[in-house]
Amino acid sequence: MAYVKWTFYALVALILFSFFHYNLPQHDVVRIVGTYQERQDLGDWTRIFWASPEDQSATLVNRDVQFIQAVKADGATMVYRNEDTGWGWPPYFKFDTASLQTEADDLRSTREAPKWAVVTHYGWRSELISIFPNAVGIYEVDSPDQRIIPWMNIILLTVLLLIVLTLRAMWRQFRQRSIDPLIEDAEDAWDELGDRADAAGDKARGWFGTWKGKPRK
Amino acid sequence: MIGFLRLMIFGLVGLTIAYWLMLIYMRSLKREDLENEWDEVSGEGLPPRDTYIDEGMSGYEHSLKRKLVWLVVIVPICLFGVLLYFMNFNS
Repeated sequence: MAYVKWTFYALVALILFSFFHYNLPQHDVVRIVGTYQERQDLGDWTRIFWASPEDQSATLVNRDVQFIQAVKADGATMVYRNEDTGWGWPPYFKFDTASLQTEADDLRSTREAPKWAVVTHYGWRSELISIFPNAVGIYEVDSPDQRIIPWMNIILLTVLLLIVLTLRAMWRQFRQRSIDPLIEDAEDAWDELGDRADAAGDKARGWFGTWKGKPRK
Repeated sequence: MIGFLRLMIFGLVGLTIAYWLMLIYMRSLKREDLENEWDEVSGEGLPPRDTYIDEGMSGYEHSLKRKLVWLVVIVPICLFGVLLYFMNFNS
């Protein structure tokens, strides 16, 4: 049974970690090498890795998506999709896809004369199932060794921790003030019931005793 | 537009729940403090226990601390606005 318990906990931890890893912003220092637009089929289960469409396109089976091609300092390639998140999940409220594409185009550079940029994005890149992280912001930096402090993640995770601790404190207060007294009452009532039963038993025994008659001399 | 409405409705429902939870929690803390204050001196020089607590609670209902519970609603809405601005109109 211990294995079942630990597997369960591990699974919960994995799901939580994946959730945050997918949705929280991450930063890459890259060189933008190009942008393109490509029609994407949205028919299968990988649909969940693409932005939710606006209402008028909810029934589309395919649509054009903008992409940003980048190369990291170590030569590794990265391709970002560039889609509005709109009012939906994750809550980046991104509506400036076209502007972002323009900025990316503006930052385009060659290997000989590199311009470095920090791309903020969320999501995962998987060649196997063709999914791409969504770029949400871009700005130019001087060198590829730019040190990035993930303020957004620090603040978000701290706030989340505070919310969890507050909820825990609320629950404890509620239990201490509202549930425990009820349980104590119930225990008292239970004890009282026991006492009464004993008393009734004694009484009944006493009454039966009168039947037995007096011990003969 | 449906997306915006959905966000507003779910957001307001969530914030309302958070507000009520915080309201009840803060009230409970205040009542516990009052009870402990009374019990510490065994009510000496104070009005009867129930009266003392009732008066303390009605004072709390008009205090700044009670009004600060609204921050639970106001802060997320402000953050939403700030995020919307910095994501789209500041580049």
